[in-house]
Amino acid sequence: MFENVKMPEGMSAETLEHLMNPKNYGKLENPSCIGVALDEKTKEYVIFYTLLDGDIIKDVRFATNGCQDTVVIGSMFSEMIKNNDTEYANGAIEKMHKRLGVMTPQQQICAEIVFSAFLASLKNFENLQAGKEEELHLFKMKESCEAENMGNNDE
Amino acid sequence: MNKVFQKKHELWLSISFASYAIKDEAIKSKLYDFSQIAFRHMKWLSSEILKANGNYNYDRDMMLYKRENVFEILEALKDEVKNIQGIYPDNVLGGRIKTDDAYLLEYISTLLKDENNNKPITAFNMQRKFLDKNLPQDQIDALTMFLFDESYKEYELILVYAYMQARTKDITQFDVFQDLIDESHFHLKSFANMMTELGILALPRQLHEMTYIVDDLDQFIKDGIAEEEAAKEMCKELSDAIKDEELSKFFDFINFQENYHIKLMQKLL
Repeated sequence: MFENVKMPEGMSAETLEHLMNPKNYGKLENPSCIGVALDEKTKEYVIFYTLLDGDIIKDVRFATNGCQDTVVIGSMFSEMIKNNDTEYANGAIEKMHKRLGVMTPQQQICAEIVFSAFLASLKNFENLQAGKEEELHLFKMKESCEAENMGNNDE
Repeated sequence: MNKVFQKKHELWLSISFASYAIKDEAIKSKLYDFSQIAFRHMKWLSSEILKANGNYNYDRDMMLYKRENVFEILEALKDEVKNIQGIYPDNVLGGRIKTDDAYLLEYISTLLKDENNNKPITAFNMQRKFLDKNLPQDQIDALTMFLFDESYKEYELILVYAYMQARTKDITQFDVFQDLIDESHFHLKSFANMMTELGILALPRQLHEMTYIVDDLDQFIKDGIAEEEAAKEMCKELSDAIKDEELSKFFDFINFQENYHIKLMQKLL
């Protein structure tokens, strides 16, 4: 799916469709868990709502104040993991990491903030299952969109 | 009351985007006027909600359908206006809004009687050809990304400033927010009309409350100034990248407007 992410040059019809009508965008009324990834430097965030049924991701929604690269990647990634299990989702992130090399450093950071928000939602679920009171789980990004290279996130 | 506010917000967007999608200048202009009236309805509703110690949000439940012709847009708009009538408050403001909407319905009905108005809509055809300009693909791609980024950003600014304006007691802040809202309306209209030319008209995505509920105004303004600087830079880059005198002049003009936004925002610090 992400082999079509080539922006800004050579924009595909699929990418354009995700720009015009992002999939799974907004809020989920009764999610199992919520995760946020925040770039403190630019204040860009992605919030991910995940509804789980056992290991199956029954539904997802995401929202962001970020750039259109973040929106397109969030739209594609959410479509990819919906109705699959969490193991598949983690595998999808791994596969994505391998493909990130074709993107610009800025686009890599956009992708990273999307995945981090999803992983934060799973961490929120884990914490809730362990009896911890937590409205949402927050990951702060180490690398900013303003930086040139992508790095790891930090809790 | 939040439901009324939400429906009015959706109607403001529907009228605005009908105006952007339709190329007939007379219809476009008239619908845009109605959209500005609808935006003032939103402002007055928000004020009444806050006075009654209530609250509202910017959630919405709508799609921008890819309509094929002008009548499809107008028929959908007519239905939306009719459907909202029953939920307006039973007071002076509600009465005012209803008479405005009745006049809009009258205008739409008049348009629908004349088959000459039923032109094809090209705003959603994804052709990405800009007027008669033969721009190379990389410039079209850069323009596309700019328009998606900035149309969202202008919509965001309109709503964030309106949210803060409704809550301030400071006259200077109120005035500055109004100027910034007016400026962003113009930018949103300009960018959306360009998106129509390119066949990529799309609704800006919904705002999450993390974006518009601001705890620290000073920090928000400082971040906003940094964003304006970034927007200026984007305009300049686009102006340099697009080898078309008319478009370059337009983006330079927007760039200079961003300069003054920074001055306005500094008044808030």
